[in-house]
Amino acid sequence: MGAGVCFVTCSVIRASFLRYFFLNLYVILSLFADLIRQAVLRFYALDSPQYVYAYYYTDCLLTIALFVAVISLASRVFAELNIARYVRFVAVLLLLGTAGFTYAVVVQSTERLGTRFAVELSQNLYFVGLVLTYLLWGAVLKLQETRTRLVQMVLSLGLYFSAYAGSYALINLAPKYEVDVQYLVPVLGCFLPVSWALSIMRHSEDSRLTPARLVAVPR
Amino acid sequence: MSRKLSALALALGILVGAMELKTLVTAHSHGVVIMANGVSPMPKLPPPTK
Repeated sequence: MGAGVCFVTCSVIRASFLRYFFLNLYVILSLFADLIRQAVLRFYALDSPQYVYAYYYTDCLLTIALFVAVISLASRVFAELNIARYVRFVAVLLLLGTAGFTYAVVVQSTERLGTRFAVELSQNLYFVGLVLTYLLWGAVLKLQETRTRLVQMVLSLGLYFSAYAGSYALINLAPKYEVDVQYLVPVLGCFLPVSWALSIMRHSEDSRLTPARLVAVPR
Repeated sequence: MSRKLSALALALGILVGAMELKTLVTAHSHGVVIMANGVSPMPKLPPPTK
């Protein structure tokens, strides 16, 4: 929670709040979601339906906010090509397509439609975000993007989504690590605000990376 | 028009790729879900009812 407050504070102090508005929005919503979850947890047990609803519905909203944050970074990367309109079009199609696909899967398999839909939509959006971030990283390399903050934020997202997919694969392939992975999840939750806060604190908007450092040197 | 069709194809490609990746990762799933937003403890999801 402290990392989130730190990121938003640094963004405001360094006049980057509006420039990275959707990233800030995700972190602020994440803080509110944690407050709501803790408030519910104070009165109800961990496995109570109230906490289950509060947890999974807020998580679904946060994942949608994270998806919008990824799209906002994509819009910034593609800004010079004047295709921001098409980036938004792809984003809307992806969100609607994922929601439609999730509904089609969930409606056939369960009666508890609301919660299952929220959980499945959230998980599907994680994987869409993973593919989107890798494509974005490819675009960063191809377009020789040099803005340090932007590059580091895209890399953070790539690491976050990759760690999520890796944890998922590990827990499914080796169920004996389930408890270890459950401890890893809150660490993953902290990773994005911490890395973004470091990026905002250590680099100014004018900082540039040399493109040669972004790609492997051919031998 | 062709740009819109390209955008549509890209969106479909991303969606298909993401769902294939999910299928690959969760091929041996036993119903466990992971959520990585926030630091609150994750509750166990009730099993689906038919």
